[in-house]
Amino acid sequence: MADDSLNHHKRDPIKSSVGNVAAQRRRQNAVTVGKERRESLVRAKRLCRVGTSADGEVSSDSDMMVDEEQSILEMQTSSAVEELKSAVAYQGKGAMQKRVNALRELRRLLSRFEFPPIETALKAGAIPVLVQCLAFGSPDEQLLEAAWCLTNIAAGKQEETKALLPALPLLIAHLGEKSSSPVAEQCAWALGNVAGEGEEFRNVLLSQGALPPLARMMLPNKGSTVRTAAWALSNLIKGPDPKPATELIKVDGLLDAILRHLKRADEELTTEVAWVVVYLSALSNVATSLLVKSGVLQLLVERLATSNSLQLLIPLSSPDLSAALLSRQEAAWVLSNIAAGSVEHKQLIHSSEALALLLHLLSTSPFDIKKEVAYVLGNLCVSPTKGEGKPKLIQEHLVSLVGRGCLSGFIDLVRSADIEAARLGLQFMELVLRGMPNDEGTKLVEREDGIDAMERFQFHENEDLRNMANGLVDKYFGEDYGLDE
Amino acid sequence: MAMEVTQVLLNAQSIDGTVRKHAEESLKQFQEQNLPSFLLSLSGELANDDKPVDSRKLAGLILKNALDAKEQHRKFELVQRWLSLDANVKTQIKTCLLNTLTSTVADARSTSSQVIAKVAGIELPQKQWPELIVSLLSNVHQLPAHVKQATLETLGYLCEEVSPDVVEQDHVNKILTAVVQGMNASEMNNDVRLAATRALYNALSFAQANFSNDMERDYIMRVVCEATQYAELKIRQAAFECLVSISSTYYEKLAPYMQDIYSITAKAVREDEEPVALQAIEFWSSICDEEIDILEEYGSDFTGNSDIPCFYFIKQALPALVPLLLEILLKQEEDQDQEEGAWNIAMAGGTCLGLVARTVGDDIVPLVIPFIEENIAKPDWRQREAATYAFGSILEGPSPDKLLHIVNVALSFMLSALTKDPNNHVKDTTAWTLGRIFEFLHGSTIGTPIITQANCQQIITVLLQSMKDTPNVAEKACGALYFLAQGYEDVGPSSPLTPFFQEIVQSLLTVTHREDAGESRLRTAAYETLNEVVRSSTDETAPMVLQLVPVIMMELHKTLEGQKLSSDEREKQGELQGLLCGCLQVIIQKLGSSEPTKYVFMQYADQIMGLFLRVFACRSATVHEEAMLAIGALAYAAGLDFAKYMPDFYKYLEMGLQNFEEYQVCAVTVGVVGDICRALEEKILPYCDGIMTQLLKDLSSNQLHRSVKPPIFSCFGDIALAIGENFEKYLMYAMPMLQSAADLSAHTANVDDDMTEYTNSLRNGILEAYSGIFQGFKNSPKTQLLIPYAPHILQFLDSMYMEKDMDELVMKTAIGLLGDLADTLGSNAGSLIQQSLTSKDFLNECLSSKDHMIKESAEWARLAINKAISV
Repeated sequence: MADDSLNHHKRDPIKSSVGNVAAQRRRQNAVTVGKERRESLVRAKRLCRVGTSADGEVSSDSDMMVDEEQSILEMQTSSAVEELKSAVAYQGKGAMQKRVNALRELRRLLSRFEFPPIETALKAGAIPVLVQCLAFGSPDEQLLEAAWCLTNIAAGKQEETKALLPALPLLIAHLGEKSSSPVAEQCAWALGNVAGEGEEFRNVLLSQGALPPLARMMLPNKGSTVRTAAWALSNLIKGPDPKPATELIKVDGLLDAILRHLKRADEELTTEVAWVVVYLSALSNVATSLLVKSGVLQLLVERLATSNSLQLLIPLSSPDLSAALLSRQEAAWVLSNIAAGSVEHKQLIHSSEALALLLHLLSTSPFDIKKEVAYVLGNLCVSPTKGEGKPKLIQEHLVSLVGRGCLSGFIDLVRSADIEAARLGLQFMELVLRGMPNDEGTKLVEREDGIDAMERFQFHENEDLRNMANGLVDKYFGEDYGLDE
Repeated sequence: MAMEVTQVLLNAQSIDGTVRKHAEESLKQFQEQNLPSFLLSLSGELANDDKPVDSRKLAGLILKNALDAKEQHRKFELVQRWLSLDANVKTQIKTCLLNTLTSTVADARSTSSQVIAKVAGIELPQKQWPELIVSLLSNVHQLPAHVKQATLETLGYLCEEVSPDVVEQDHVNKILTAVVQGMNASEMNNDVRLAATRALYNALSFAQANFSNDMERDYIMRVVCEATQYAELKIRQAAFECLVSISSTYYEKLAPYMQDIYSITAKAVREDEEPVALQAIEFWSSICDEEIDILEEYGSDFTGNSDIPCFYFIKQALPALVPLLLEILLKQEEDQDQEEGAWNIAMAGGTCLGLVARTVGDDIVPLVIPFIEENIAKPDWRQREAATYAFGSILEGPSPDKLLHIVNVALSFMLSALTKDPNNHVKDTTAWTLGRIFEFLHGSTIGTPIITQANCQQIITVLLQSMKDTPNVAEKACGALYFLAQGYEDVGPSSPLTPFFQEIVQSLLTVTHREDAGESRLRTAAYETLNEVVRSSTDETAPMVLQLVPVIMMELHKTLEGQKLSSDEREKQGELQGLLCGCLQVIIQKLGSSEPTKYVFMQYADQIMGLFLRVFACRSATVHEEAMLAIGALAYAAGLDFAKYMPDFYKYLEMGLQNFEEYQVCAVTVGVVGDICRALEEKILPYCDGIMTQLLKDLSSNQLHRSVKPPIFSCFGDIALAIGENFEKYLMYAMPMLQSAADLSAHTANVDDDMTEYTNSLRNGILEAYSGIFQGFKNSPKTQLLIPYAPHILQFLDSMYMEKDMDELVMKTAIGLLGDLADTLGSNAGSLIQQSLTSKDFLNECLSSKDHMIKESAEWARLAINKAISV
């Protein structure tokens, strides 16, 4: 109502209580911290993606980069490393932002060009200072940038990768559960690059304990983390030593995690996980047994089946299709590894639902897959033999497979230009001719135009195949065959 | 149709509670049963000179409250209700109101003035009641004095109520003419002059055109200046208030008058009564505000200049102004430091001196130093206090180099004064000045440190000693310690405070337990200082910070033990819990930021969370804001482990999101949802239905303060980032909200700075939401669900780009979103982006930005777009 004075505001006195300002600042700080975390999460997600696609990307925008003279680039890189050194030495206000900025600049130089100036960076002494940046308790953004620089250095030539050795213990340490997921992911990525470089590096990483934390990164459901960890692991257990694969499969919860991830819709993710399964099954019998028992087979089959139906949905040109194909191929490869194993494994596959699907795939899928499937089916019909000599037949399997119409698929392979595939086809034909009871084999082969297919090899340039085909024709369809001759 | 309401209105003011209650009930019933008749009856009562003044006043007040309310949504309802009333009823009411202005009863006239202004506030923007202003002004100079006074008062309220753009210039001219004539010396009636002067205060914002006209402006200024000399105190005060308002609204027009204004204000400051003198000082403070803003804009290389040039009035007035201000520093009141909210000439003078220092920088130092030197050691406490106060006031503004010498000399003097001076005020101001020294001249940015190994020990000993002094002095000593600690926040691995850490913490805890810690906000200062000491500490003292955890937990536990509390005690309990939760928030943040300490700290997590939940349970309807903030910190430290607390915590989270009234609580809770999303990732999924429901309700509420809405949009992004493609089911609700908010924010004309700032924060929230959703869906088979939204988003980006009013943050977020869109949708986005109007220009502009965050986002976006286009 009508007051004595107007609505003039009272000014805050300059001499005020600290409590007012402080509480306000504290709240503001909480809001800022939240914003920074969101920002770094968003940035981390974007950064990793650039990285994943970097190989394919560089060429498409290399036109933007040509004008950067190599010498200028090298100069920039040396000074970026120097800048980083002084930022790390600096302890004053804004020190952390200074370090992050310097790291970011170096990382940009290391990731933007077709021939990244790795050597220059190493000569300038990048590794020791990057290792310093990985110190415990450093802020996430700093860890992330440093690990990213190291990732890119690791992607270089072998001797450049070697320079990373001093950084490995800290990179491994940051894989732990206490690290934020972007940091752990980036470190896993760097380690994956190192592991990919060769057996020598794999052994170093294994002896420093990289495997358990990477394996544990597979356990949660976070897509990108699992993908990166799976990729790094598949590099790490590549062999030839089977021990790491055995160690991996025994990690608590890993098998469950693999099963869980294979059920997920993310094709890229399942692809990486499938690779892990591939190496596990290829290298370790223990792993193979556990995988088979766990029902992974069933899952891979389902995977094949769903990918099969996806094919109908997605137009041929879609990039998703190739991802799907890749995944199926790997699944089939796993089966073929298993099928090449013990008789019990073979019986398992033979009696599983996989069989019908495999047979279906043999007649309908694209060539690559057809070949893998043929390999599985072929392997199902023989048991391992010691030494040389023809493989021993499992007649029961052969009869059932042939009975379900797989021969024509193999004969198609015989006709293909791919020597490996043709060999597979011929081998299977040999099994049929040799192993079907009551000499049914010859009739079947003849009915499916198998003779014609074999005769194409009469003058084939590959001696091996030529002899094999001619041998079969001579042996089963020679002078004494039928009434025609 | 009107009814007899006199008795009911009188009863409603009865001392007898029952009678009063009954009357209030009947009024309410009457209003509900027949609103038009109710309003008519009230206006009839107000207009009727035969009725008692009390019933007339209450009738007017109820009428006024039927037209306006504080809460936006209620206000909107009332406006709609009035507009939909029958036209005849409205005309009758308005006639009654205007007739009341001629009443001989002053209270009735004044009440009616306010009601008329409220009706005008509703009707003028609708182009209704066009005759109002003309009829008020038609024969204003022939009216009897009391009617003239009421008319001017009405015009004043009217200008306060309606916005300048709904009144045509011709009417503005007439209003100003009437008002200025009413202020004129030729007007003999003081009531008329006072009403006119107050009316001018409100009418000033209408006078843009008149202030651009030299003749009219000269005339208005002359009348205002004359009014500052009238015999009647209230008129002088109102006239100075007009000058203060003019100084900010028409700063650039003031140059010709500054000489005169200086003389007038100096005389008022020295000789006039306090209310007038305070306004005269306020004029100079307000000029400082203007010049600080302008010079700040000069300094930022953003635009390179300001719309308004700086006239350097303060710099020119400096030789006369500074002595004037120093003089009044000696006019202290006896108990001003013990009294919260005290305001007097000396305090206003020091505050103005501080603003002058910020405006002119180095130039003030030589003008103040002699005053300090002359008075700092005088026997009269007023002189010592004024000298110290002057010193403390000028520490912000001048360059450190200019001050370092004198500060180094003064420091040991101040430390000894703080322990030895016999006067409480002097000690209070001395401790405050030490705080100012540490705030502005101590820290990693200052070349030569003023705190050295040699004096550090002494400084801390003195400050800790002073914390045992009277509450007001102890509070200032805490403040000094606060800034001392803050200056070491970037100190590196080893802090000079480390050797004293234990002692400092112990002393602060002792202060919090003082019997009189409730006075002078001492307890608050002690806890906030403890927080700052912890926040700025280094790894060296981490074990001691860890030891603090159970101590603070025990304190918090004690607040929960109390039995039945009175409402006063309950308020105190809530305040103390707030301080303790704030302290835990800082400790959790500190310990959570490094692995080894986080690991040890997490052993307490269950118990701490238990305490927080009990703090929440203390209250029935609201959640404790500080406890909520602390939980945000705990979630970040706990990560996935936080999931186990969710079942118990969830209901409070929901309660916080429902708190429309205390919107800060709602805002804090929205922030905590974000923290939890980042901590729990997919594990937050089971709670998302509830959270999203609440957030969507918040967004559609017109009760909720608008500042909470941008963070809610960002929170959508947080949720989508956490749960990925599971966000699918919320798309159909969230996307339309985002779209309409985007449309709204894309086309907001630049009304004022506040609006521009809000628009940008809203845009940022929307963009963050979209980015989170697109990133969340990336690599899922459901990305095609987002395709239909892409064209609208690209249009939104286009329109923002074309408006050219994005700030840096929005620009960075916007270009990032363009990349996310391309990244997630791939070839589906490629063609849309190629077709979009401005994407390419926008990208190029961002690529060549000087801001490296924008540039980096843009480089990423370029890669993503190239990839999408090449598929």
